[in-house]
Amino acid sequence: MPVPDHHIVAEPPPFDKPPYPSDIFARQVVLVTGGGSGMGLAMAQAFAQGGASVAVVGRSLERAQEGAATIEAIGGKTHAISCDVRKADKVAAAFDEAERALGPVSLLANNAGANFPVLAEAISVNAWNAVTRIAIDGTFLCSSEFVRRRIAQGHGGAIVNNSAQYIWTGFPGDAHSAAAKTAQATMTRAMAREWAGYGIRVNAVAAGFFPHAASTRGDGNDAIEPLQNMIPAGRTGRIREFGWLAALTCSPLFSGMTGQVIVQDGGESLRRSLMMPDFIPPRERANGPWGWQ
Amino acid sequence: MGWLTGRRARLIGDYPPISAALSSAGAELCTDGACDILLHCAEMAMVRPLHEMSHAQWRHALDQGLDQRFFEAKAFADQCREAGKGGSIIFIGWPEHDRGSAQAAAVGALGNLTKTLAVEWARDGIRVNTVLTASHAATLGHLVAYLASDYAAYVTGAVMGIGMDDL
Repeated sequence: MPVPDHHIVAEPPPFDKPPYPSDIFARQVVLVTGGGSGMGLAMAQAFAQGGASVAVVGRSLERAQEGAATIEAIGGKTHAISCDVRKADKVAAAFDEAERALGPVSLLANNAGANFPVLAEAISVNAWNAVTRIAIDGTFLCSSEFVRRRIAQGHGGAIVNNSAQYIWTGFPGDAHSAAAKTAQATMTRAMAREWAGYGIRVNAVAAGFFPHAASTRGDGNDAIEPLQNMIPAGRTGRIREFGWLAALTCSPLFSGMTGQVIVQDGGESLRRSLMMPDFIPPRERANGPWGWQ
Repeated sequence: MGWLTGRRARLIGDYPPISAALSSAGAELCTDGACDILLHCAEMAMVRPLHEMSHAQWRHALDQGLDQRFFEAKAFADQCREAGKGGSIIFIGWPEHDRGSAQAAAVGALGNLTKTLAVEWARDGIRVNTVLTASHAATLGHLVAYLASDYAAYVTGAVMGIGMDDL
């Protein structure tokens, strides 16, 4: 449903006007997991706009290479790497490869994730393991690999985690991701505390809905328009504003920030009304567990 | 960086890193009249044991930490609606556990006031956010300037800290 004309909807500046100078991440190397598409690619592009070299890591080398090509197109130095973040030896190998190609990794963006709507009783062991272990074990393995290397090199660094706006409420039809994203947020605080003494900052963005080509329903107008009016801000997120906030938390501008989980969701997770629509159990929704498919 | 070029910002309370960051982001600081950004910083709360606090002292803490913020925000939102344009409100205060029980009550209330105003005023294009921190370093100024800017157009109803002991 379209947003009425008399409502004011704020938009971020255009893609070619990032919130920081083009050298803010000069001589920095960032490793972005799941960086080949979607929100990870938005992070990768945001870091590249600030002058970072970007190691684009993905399960699929082909998708990582596609992402890397878009980094090159905006003038960034980049290298695509295939890695399953659930496997410690593969993670170590990915860091080795990134360092050979680009130099020591000084920033890390944990974005790799999988998500699909499914009723809890229909989540298979494989599906549960896939969603939770990519986010939880993957964040642990990549972060600890990163930090061991930073400590050995005697340098600080910064980590940003891609969490979700439903970590405070749960998300029916999404038990695996709701659990995993909340684990990521609490790990963010714990890691920040453990690694503060090494000059390593850890923050997260609890992101709302940022449609992109690889979203469940894509980012076409017909997919987005029904969602605009349900969000207090009057629109879904523009993926560049997510990438920019994620990069800002790792930038010298926010050098004092650590242990924070910043919600960026246009007010989507906030309570709107005392009265709610009739409750229909996710199992009985005619159009799927998320209710809008 | 020009995040706030052409914007007028009213800063209530004296936090030097914030005024410095707003100015360097291009904002014009003002004390009255129409403005695009309202920032309300808490005064240093008096810390004393709760059982030694008079009702007047308790009231003063709640007035400074909560009531005045609501009234200033309300007047700002009225002015934005009258002008037909959006705006950004940022409350800045101490972490809730940091400065005694009266302050804790005020800050707890402030957090949920932030979330409520964010929804009520969302379609007026008015965003409302809160930063609770014991840090008065440069990051506070940069974070506040970011929240005031269009780069944070999708951030509203957020309550955040800066250091790991803040939240």
